[in-house]
Amino acid sequence: MKVEAIDYGDRRVYSVGAFNRGIASWLERLPTVWVEGEVTELRRQARWASVFFTLKDPADGACLGVSMPRGQFDGLRLELADGDRVHVYGRPELYEARGEFRLRALSLERFGLGEHLAALERLKQKLAAEGLFAPERKRPLPFLPRRIGLITGNDAAAKRDVLTTLTARFPPANVLVGETYVQGPRAAGAVIETLRALSREPDVDVIVVARGGGSFEDLLPFSDERLVRAIADCPVPVVSAVGHEQDTPLCDLAADARASTPSVAARLVVPDLAELLQRLDRARAGLERGTRRALERERRRLDRARERLDRAPRLLLERGRARLEHAAGRLRALSPHATLERGYAIVRSDGAIVRSGEAVEPGQKVDVELAEGGFGARIEETR
Amino acid sequence: MNEERSFEDAQRELEEIVQRLESGEAPLDEALRLWQRGEELYRLCRERLDAAEGKIEELASRAETARP
Repeated sequence: MKVEAIDYGDRRVYSVGAFNRGIASWLERLPTVWVEGEVTELRRQARWASVFFTLKDPADGACLGVSMPRGQFDGLRLELADGDRVHVYGRPELYEARGEFRLRALSLERFGLGEHLAALERLKQKLAAEGLFAPERKRPLPFLPRRIGLITGNDAAAKRDVLTTLTARFPPANVLVGETYVQGPRAAGAVIETLRALSREPDVDVIVVARGGGSFEDLLPFSDERLVRAIADCPVPVVSAVGHEQDTPLCDLAADARASTPSVAARLVVPDLAELLQRLDRARAGLERGTRRALERERRRLDRARERLDRAPRLLLERGRARLEHAAGRLRALSPHATLERGYAIVRSDGAIVRSGEAVEPGQKVDVELAEGGFGARIEETR
Repeated sequence: MNEERSFEDAQRELEEIVQRLESGEAPLDEALRLWQRGEELYRLCRERLDAAEGKIEELASRAETARP
């Protein structure tokens, strides 16, 4: 729209109407957005084309005028009362006749605790479906972190709890504290920024996000989609210690480890130095004991070997004697004498053993040997 | 990341060595070698714990002092 100005010499001047028209047309270029606030000063009259109310920010009391076509407002049957939390979808506009800025509502939704929880649940389902909370995504925490990043508010309790437990358990712990907003509309962005800054610092290999308990709304920034994603994407493992046991902000689900309190988070992050030293010393004692035992075993084996060496010559002699006796036994069993004992006789003629009747003739003299003694004989006949 | 990894690895190796030694299965020359390696690992772990000196710093104040 063209806005006409009047020139008075070197001064360019707008009429009020032209100025308002100009502003109004500029505002029209702004996008349509959702705005959250509490309804106050609801004004509705049958003769008005629109319904008016003021949207109030419960955190800081900031106010915004809102208008909505009456028919549309009535059709929603919201029955709004003062203080009800709503989400308004609309675009900024200028009421030209009065130069009043307000939000032109296109849609309006009640947004109480129930709706809030439902929205959180939808976000949780969406991120879970993406696998952001999957157990296989969880990284192990370092056994001995070189440096620990700690994100807290200037809320002294959570910070003190973490630092006290860290240094009591592991005095050599190095901590880099990033203090930031942990409540209110700036908290999510501030925590994300601190998370990134800490993860870029040299040697930081685990980050603890610690925030004490608070109301549902106080903890909302820790369910902010951007923060939940930043924690899942953080290049170093993150421990989330936000709120109390019963609270489950979504950042708890995306973190690599979750702690019910700040001091539990500290215990997850560092080992117990005294226990560690004890374990090392125990190992060293075992080292000495084991080596000494191996030495003693070796000495005993040497002693045994020597004993056997000493016994060797006698053993050899005995084995030789046994073998000799065995041979003698076999020799005895095979000698002709044993055969004669069984009733056989040996017949010799001129010293040669007679094995056949044809080797002798009648009248020839032979010599007969028996087991005991013998006799001479003469051949009667041959066969 | 590998410095504290090596601590954990060193501690695990040390404890495995002790186990092997205490099982009594290692022959003497191996036992002596294991003992030497174990002592080395023990020293490594102790140095890692003794050398570290705790420090608590603030990210914001660091950024401020970093500025000229």
